[in-house]
Amino acid sequence: MADVKNVVEITAQTVEQAIDEGLEALGLTRTQVQVEILEHPRPGFLGIGGRDATVRIIRIGAEAEIAAEAEAKAASQKKVEAPQAEPAQPVTQQAAAAELPAEDISNDKDAIARYAATVVEELLEKMRISAEVKAHFIDPEDDMDEEILWVDIEGRDLSILIGRRSETLNALQYIASLIVNKQVGRLIPLMVDVQGYRQRREQQIRQLALRMADQAVKTGRRQVLEPMSASERRIIHLALRSHEGVTTESVGEAPNRKVTILPKRK
Amino acid sequence: MKSLIEYIACSLVDQPDKVDVKQQRNGNRIRLELRVDKDDMGRVIGKSGRVANSMRILLRVAAAREGKQVTLYVIEP
Repeated sequence: MADVKNVVEITAQTVEQAIDEGLEALGLTRTQVQVEILEHPRPGFLGIGGRDATVRIIRIGAEAEIAAEAEAKAASQKKVEAPQAEPAQPVTQQAAAAELPAEDISNDKDAIARYAATVVEELLEKMRISAEVKAHFIDPEDDMDEEILWVDIEGRDLSILIGRRSETLNALQYIASLIVNKQVGRLIPLMVDVQGYRQRREQQIRQLALRMADQAVKTGRRQVLEPMSASERRIIHLALRSHEGVTTESVGEAPNRKVTILPKRK
Repeated sequence: MKSLIEYIACSLVDQPDKVDVKQQRNGNRIRLELRVDKDDMGRVIGKSGRVANSMRILLRVAAAREGKQVTLYVIEP
């Protein structure tokens, strides 16, 4: 267990990004971890005076090991960039300080799913796109973890909704989660998908990963993939985690961060 | 297009009654000006302009549907 990382602290522009980066670093999925928000991002003005989000991501079932690790970390302070003067605040507490929604739906899953579907419907209608929207929670793999709210869009000619490198779909997902999080008052992992695109893309990326790994083994050279988002890079790291011939790492700065597949030395 | 920005801005700010969107048309081009309360500026701009840029991406889809070009300006109070 010693070489498996159980906890990371990540600072990124948004809580969402920090979580994605952290999951990538740990090689785990959202359902295998517990997320603690250490610092909420504070919006600056035109990039000035803002503060990044810092989250701590803990592998579920590793709390005991973490206690020791956290102590060692606190002593050395090597990973923590900002001084941790403020105590860690749970998500719900922080949200309560923000304006309360007119109607409290934070504990009603069906209401949250319905609300998310309505938000996406409203956005699409105002974008002049007619489509059917359905939302449901996906069961977590581990009952300690939160479910993911999955919003499906079905209809005809919806490729315009995906955009180049799923730019439009990601923008829609980002705006929709901001609105839902604000109304519900807590962070709910929300994914927006168009006609199964995200699942198809995940398949494609996995296959690409295996192909490029073969290439790396065959040629003995590192393979650099095209720039991808943190969640897409994570798919590759996970797909090749148990591969015998290669190791993977991410190189560069977002949005040009790329996965590199390195052949293992014998 | 105006309604898209109004909807998003009103849903994200603390003071929806202070949200104001103005639309100007010049042939094919549409200029949208978004104004919100000073304390809500960060919410509609976002870190590194992420919220504003996402709104622009969604606007582009709406504009393409009408064969128009649209630019969004977030105006300082």
